[in-house]
This record gives sequence, C-alpha cells and structure tokens, in this order.
Amino acid sequence: MPFVEDPAHLSIARLKSDLLAHNVALPPAASKKEVYVELHLKNIDQKNAAEFSSDDEEETREAARESSGFEHSRDKDPEVTQMPDPSDLTDEYLREALLKHGVKAGPIVASTRTLYENKLRKLLLHSNGDDELYSDSEEEQEKRDDIESACSVLEEQKPEEAKKIKGENDKADLHFHRRDYSYQQCFLLSSRLRAHPSRNEKPSSKSLSKNVTKSSERSKSKSSHILAGVSKASSTGQHSGLRSGTFSITQMVQEMESRGSLSDCTVKELNSSRVGEHCSRSYRFAMNDLDKSRSTDQSLYHTPKDVHPPRGMKLPQESGKPILKDLFPDTKPTTTGIYVTPRRPIKGAAQRPVQYSYSYPDTLVSPVTLERREVERRLVSIHIQILFFFFVACILFYIYVNVQDSTVLALLDSFSHCFDKEGWAFLQPGTEGTQAVCKQD
Amino acid sequence: MSSTSQKHKDFVAEPMGEKPVMALAGIGEVLGKRLEEKGFDKAYVVLGQFLVLKKDEELFRDWLKDTCGANAKQQGDCYGCLKEWCDAFL
Repeated sequence: MPFVEDPAHLSIARLKSDLLAHNVALPPAASKKEVYVELHLKNIDQKNAAEFSSDDEEETREAARESSGFEHSRDKDPEVTQMPDPSDLTDEYLREALLKHGVKAGPIVASTRTLYENKLRKLLLHSNGDDELYSDSEEEQEKRDDIESACSVLEEQKPEEAKKIKGENDKADLHFHRRDYSYQQCFLLSSRLRAHPSRNEKPSSKSLSKNVTKSSERSKSKSSHILAGVSKASSTGQHSGLRSGTFSITQMVQEMESRGSLSDCTVKELNSSRVGEHCSRSYRFAMNDLDKSRSTDQSLYHTPKDVHPPRGMKLPQESGKPILKDLFPDTKPTTTGIYVTPRRPIKGAAQRPVQYSYSYPDTLVSPVTLERREVERRLVSIHIQILFFFFVACILFYIYVNVQDSTVLALLDSFSHCFDKEGWAFLQPGTEGTQAVCKQD
Repeated sequence: MSSTSQKHKDFVAEPMGEKPVMALAGIGEVLGKRLEEKGFDKAYVVLGQFLVLKKDEELFRDWLKDTCGANAKQQGDCYGCLKEWCDAFL
C-alpha cells in the first residue's frame, strides 16, 4: 500500500479489495463497513507495523516471512519502505503486486519467478521515482492522496481499464490525467452547486451543499463524494441547475473527450439531451445543405427547421470566439463549440452552372496510338510470331540431326512414290485421268 | 521489416518435433550448449518456457539472457522464430 490512509475514509469495496490483496478472510457479505474497517485496521495496518496475525497456518508462515521481510527491507532500503522486497513475497502476493502495476502475470513457477521479481522491482523503482518527481508541495501531495482515494470510486467500475492504462503509459501520466479530469469535474460540479444550492433537496445533495460551504480547496478533496453523489443523483433533479449556472462548454468538451464509459451518465446530466441532438444535427445539416442552399441573402449558418432551440438557454462562452460573433452575428452557439461557416459553393463564373462544351473521350489517347492499336489487333502479335519461328526452327534442326541418311532417302522415296501417283495427277488440271489415278490407290 | 535467416525459415517451415535446441534461430553451438546444461535440451522445452511466459517478448528475452547469456540480436531472433512457429502451428 503506497499511501497510509485512514481506512474509515475508504469505501467498502476498496476495503474488500485490500483485504483480499492481503489474503484476509472477508466477513459475511452483508456486514457493515465498520466490520471491514476493523479487519483492515487489524490486519493491514498491523502488517505495516511489522506485525501480522492470521487464521491459516500457511498464511502465518508466509506472513512471518513477509513481516521479517518488511523489517529487513526497511533497514536496507529506506526508499522501498512501502513495498516489501519482491523476493520475499509469495507467488500470490507477487502476482497481486504485479497486477496492481498493470502486469498480468502468467504462472509463477520456478523458472519464471526470478523474472517476475525483477519486473516488479523495475516497476517499483519507476513508480517511486515518478512520484518523487511530481510531488510539488505537501499540500499538493495531500490533495493528490485524497483524490487518489477518491478516484477509487472510479477504479471499482473500470478497474481493468485503468490498470491497463497504468501498465502501458507512465503511471505519473495517469495520475495527472486523472487529477486533471477530476479537477475539471470538481470545477464544474462546484460551480453548479454554487449556482443552485437551494435546489439540492436529496440527502446526497445535502452533503454536496455542505461541501460547497467549506473552502474551495477542501471541496476539491471531497470530489469523491461529489462524484458518488453525481452518479447516484437522477438526471431530472439536476437539469434545471444547468440553465443559468456558470457553465463552461470547452471544459465539457475536454471532459467528453477524456472520459470513459462511467462519465456518460454524468455528461448526460450536464447536457440536456435535446441540446446535444440539436447540435449534432445542426452540424450535419450545415455540411449537407451547402449545395442546396442557393439563397445568398439569408443567414450563412443554416439552421435546421425541425429542432427548436431551447429558449431560456444562455451558454456564455468562456473562451469565446469574438471574431465569429463580429462577422456572423447570427450564429447560434453550439454545445460542442464547433462553428460551421459554410463556404458558398463554387460553380462557375457569375453563378452560372458549368457546362462542358465537348465531351471528353473516356481514355485520353492520341490518334496515332489508336491506329497502332487497330493494326495490332488485326495482326498476330509479334511475340507469337517469334515463338512460332523458333518452334519451326527447332523442329527442322531436330529432324536434321536425328534422321539418318537412309531414312531420309526412304522417306523421300516414299514421298516421291505417293507424289508420282497422286500428286502429279492432282496437279494436272482438268484431266479425267486424275480422278482415276487417285482412285487406284 | 528485417529479413529472416535461413535457420529461421527452416525452423518455421515444419513442426519442430524432436529438433535440438540448436535448431532455433539465434541459438548457436555455444548458447545451445549452455541451454542443454540447464536442461533445455530440445527445442520444445524452450517452447514450453516461451509459452509459460505467455509469449511475452520482454520476459522471454530476459529469460534467455539470464539462462544462456544471449545478446540482443540472438534474443530477438529466437523470440521471432518461436513466435512465428506458434502462429503457424499452435
């Protein structure tokens, strides 16, 4: 456990996971938080103080080893006071520790054990080093600690995702990312709450309003409660709070970009659903209707007809676009902050549609090439001609080489024989004898 | 993309069967001997280790380095060879 924190501040789920991580038997499911806190205090905090008591024999044996490891490592290395030496951990603990750093370990057997231990050491060094880099002041550290614990609410709901991110990116980056995100969240929520403290009727909201009355710094640290309250509160109760509060759209845009699935419910609260539809539709229409809109004297920003913009809604732009407002006073603000100023379609000179005077052929080819192609189609291709030539040459060569003189003469005789009988007779045109001669053979 | 050696191609072309560990790409005589001393006498034993490490590149390379002292290129060759074999036959 890198941070020493009061277990009473942790949620039940977090306590449960901590107890599981330390192989402590969980109390029955319906037990109250105090039971968990007690167990947590008894087992984990004692372990931190180099004392451990457990039920199973195995655990006591391992725990004894581990507690000695704690003391030993503490004497050795003051930096690694929070984590025991990886070589003293059991396989289970090693796997848990690796999982905390986002590494899904395979089987930890004899051959793989040292590798995983080294990996854990590397990860510990990285995480320790990064934490030191980013600690500016004590106050900041405190806030970060609180937010760390607060963000456990998020961790429950997307544990794998967060841990994957941890594993892949720098751990510090994630901290910053999450802090920024939670800070933004706090700004929005605290601003919202300041605007309408009277509307908070529900008990969860009461706690929120209490926080608002405290100093703003403390409200940041209580972001966990705010987050929990937000996720529980229904959308209807909080809608009206949006209309006239200090409402930052750009921050919302950043939120929407940086959030995961959890945030959808909160974003839906912050965005009225109608507004969201309106904006997306208006954007789409603006792009599609560029060609259709011929009227130039009308407003350049095409508003769709079927969506009624909410009347009482004023969304002041913090990081406003004053230029746009000067040039196009008719533009309506969008929740996404995207302004579309369509360009007039370029058609041709003097707004006349372009008409081509002659049609282009399909392929741009010179007449000489066309002629050549015609010729080539008629004649047999050159390759085939060459091949045929070589083929005939080979046959003749083969005959010349292989056939002996005697056979040649025999062949010639036979040929001449036939030829005398039929061929010559055939050659003589118009004689009746030819047919008679042919019929003889 | 780096080209693969003949050894790699030969290994990946067919099931490894009882091929010795020196048939692996990147593992020559010296490294092969060291592996055999540690008990990895056949290619399939190294394959077993590769699979136990869940085909993780970093872990496998570390393991190779620790076990037989392979350098980075040899590690890479061996890893690539086994990975491709697994893709083809496993």
